[in-house]
Amino acid sequence: MATPEVLAEKRELAGINADYKEKFGFNDPETGYAYKAPKGLTREVVETISDYKDEPQWMRDFRLKALDHFESRPTPKWGGNLDQIDFDDIHYFVRASEKNSRDWSEVPEDIKNTFDRLGIPEAERKFLAGVGAQYESEVVYHQVNEKLEAQGVIFTDMDTALREHEDLVREYWATVIPPNDNKLAALNSAVWSGGSFVYVPAGVKVEMPLQAYFRINTENMGQFERTLIICEEGADVHYIEGCTAPVYSSDSLHSAVVEIVCKPSSRVRYTTVQNWSQNVFNLVTKRAVAHEKATMEWVDCNLGSKLTMKYPSIYLLGPEAHGEILSIAFAGDGQHQDAGGKIIHGAPRTSSSIFSKSISKDGGRATYRGLLEVADGARESRSKVVCDALLLDEHSRSDTYPTIRIDANDADIGHEATVSKIGDEQLFYLQSRGLDEEEASKMIVNGFIEPVTKELPMEYAVELNRLIELQMEGSIG
Amino acid sequence: MAEVAVQPAWLSERRQRGASLAQELPLPDQKAKGWEFTDLSGLDLGAYEEASAAPVVSGAEGATVVSLSEALSSHEDLLRERLGSLVPVEDPFVARNEASWRDGVLVHVPKGVRLSEPIQIELPVETNGAAVNWRTLIVLEEDAEAEVWEHWSSPGDEVDAVLNSVVELSVGQGATLRYVNTQDISERAWIFATQRAQVERDGRLDWAALGFGSARGKVRMETKLAGPGSEARVTGGYAGGAGQHLDYDTTQEHAAPNTNSDLAFRGVLAAGATAVWRGMIKVDPGAQQTDAFQESRNLLLSPEAHADAIPGLEILADDVRCTHAAAIAQVDKDQLFYLTSRGLAAAAAKSLIIEGFLESLVERLAEGPVRDSISEALESRLAEIL
Repeated sequence: MATPEVLAEKRELAGINADYKEKFGFNDPETGYAYKAPKGLTREVVETISDYKDEPQWMRDFRLKALDHFESRPTPKWGGNLDQIDFDDIHYFVRASEKNSRDWSEVPEDIKNTFDRLGIPEAERKFLAGVGAQYESEVVYHQVNEKLEAQGVIFTDMDTALREHEDLVREYWATVIPPNDNKLAALNSAVWSGGSFVYVPAGVKVEMPLQAYFRINTENMGQFERTLIICEEGADVHYIEGCTAPVYSSDSLHSAVVEIVCKPSSRVRYTTVQNWSQNVFNLVTKRAVAHEKATMEWVDCNLGSKLTMKYPSIYLLGPEAHGEILSIAFAGDGQHQDAGGKIIHGAPRTSSSIFSKSISKDGGRATYRGLLEVADGARESRSKVVCDALLLDEHSRSDTYPTIRIDANDADIGHEATVSKIGDEQLFYLQSRGLDEEEASKMIVNGFIEPVTKELPMEYAVELNRLIELQMEGSIG
Repeated sequence: MAEVAVQPAWLSERRQRGASLAQELPLPDQKAKGWEFTDLSGLDLGAYEEASAAPVVSGAEGATVVSLSEALSSHEDLLRERLGSLVPVEDPFVARNEASWRDGVLVHVPKGVRLSEPIQIELPVETNGAAVNWRTLIVLEEDAEAEVWEHWSSPGDEVDAVLNSVVELSVGQGATLRYVNTQDISERAWIFATQRAQVERDGRLDWAALGFGSARGKVRMETKLAGPGSEARVTGGYAGGAGQHLDYDTTQEHAAPNTNSDLAFRGVLAAGATAVWRGMIKVDPGAQQTDAFQESRNLLLSPEAHADAIPGLEILADDVRCTHAAAIAQVDKDQLFYLTSRGLAAAAAKSLIIEGFLESLVERLAEGPVRDSISEALESRLAEIL
């Protein structure tokens, strides 16, 4: 028997996803685009992007060199099935509006409508320090509050950063993820557009999380944002990336590159809530380097997309650097979440941990794929990796592929993983307390991911729990 | 044992197929799946001459224990049906073995027969420049019970040879097999072993393996729980010293409901020894009420030692409990400090800690001759590499 509170919550929850298509599943009329590149990837398309953005020669050369890498590399055969992606059937560049707006009143009306329906600006203007909203390939709305600017913090879209802070961008550009790192990073390097640039000067602590919303809104349009975060010595910043995408009829590709440099004693936390619509291929390269005594944390939540392949990595390059990866993956019907993390200990007395939680249901497949490496000379390093997976029905699948490579003496490394279903005893206990099976299951799942959600800002934690409850609906019996 | 001189047509055909596959399947390089951490570029199979070994086999009352060449006349139907039934030929090393094996042993325990004495198989790898293609086929019929000890060894560490063996363990319904394989061949020799067990309904396999010898290669140990209620317990220990690279690849496949597997490996690596352990738990669709456990722990005794652990889970059923754990560590300084503060010399304290590390592995084995002899073997091996 359900309590009145539970019933009320259930009524409230029941309505949440019903209007998803009306609420999020829309397309703005495509006539609104200021520029849209023809489908397919050629030297001309890359040159056009570069011309259009009026980029310096070094960036143009970088793009073209990356294109060569992209073309010469085979499509990866591991992880998910990438053969379904037709790289010739994608728009590599779409510009939503002519001008990059800083003031809300300048944002074009139909774009505002999109954001209104997502409920973004009000909420964020109230609570957040700065808003960088990526609508399609370019950031159209961006606001950094005066306090941040006074602290010397740069938080802008990447195109603007390249114009206004070229030397700074050039100094760090592709130093963490070179264009030949992998095929998708090469693709991003060739056609990148938008993304965020964050620079935090030495000693500055950014108190509010910096947030950017990314959206894909053109059918068959790839989104290739590029984010670079530089956190100077002793500085501290939390960056949040949340994604929603409308429902489409054919597949979209999202392939981002995120590079982070944590200078000595700095701390960067990068939080992602990924909820792409379930036709998006989400193939992302994220990597951070942490210098002496720096701390890097990835909080990575993957709920949406058709296939996600994403393994945030941390190179611990200075003594006593610390890295943490918290990962949640939820794979429902038709989804494959191939997520995980990589940590490379490259200096003495470094420490790290990876906690991964995955849930598979309705035939979904959740994969943890990880690497933990302790290089020669990284003495007295410590690491712990724990992966837990929940399987909610017999059609679903869970895989765990951790790799551990230890080259150093005095390293202490542990890994454990568990795959199980929801425990009958737990279910029985909750049901004996008056919950029905579905409510009890939701509660157990929320408890299962709680170690990660408690690390999220409150509004994200609430959103994540809700999203998972929605995905859980109807999963029992 | 003599070479196989006269052979039936089916065997000739199979050898030909093995030979043609061997032509098609080159030796894997480090880009091949599963071979990323083991470099075979130094292996020139052409430099070794195919040779017979001189195995010593002692049987037990009630069972058939014969060389494969004898079995060709006494148990031809059984061989034809079972040889190669568990280990598929589509693999570079299995194909080469299939094409040219000369020696091997058949152990056959008939239905309901329970042996009281262990069966012993001794395979010496003693000739320089020899390539030994060896096969073991153990078949336990329904409700049979047996213990088989197989020992691969060399007279010293100077022998440069290749041992390429294929081992098939067939555990029938309700049968119990204890299989102990101790490998201590020359530290200059190559080893390739492809071993696969299949356990039928309510059958039980207790498999213990030790790896001390060989320079390089790969040892596969695969268990398939094919019948409901079957279980397998796999216990592995290895200890390597300078110049050795040990590669273990284990699979626990659950193909039926209500099955239970429990695998534990422990490795001790001294000097510049390296090891890679790769383990996979596979749970097939429908294999509900599965309980699978997998653990690998390595102790690195020197800064030059290196270990890789690649545990894996592939789960396609939901009513399961699958757990794996891997750890790589050094001798604990606090433990060392404690022991030395109690008056033990550093070396003695260290070896006490290592023994303790291996003790929990040995304790997995039932008390008796198997546990005693494994324990002794580990102890004397430690004395060698420390």
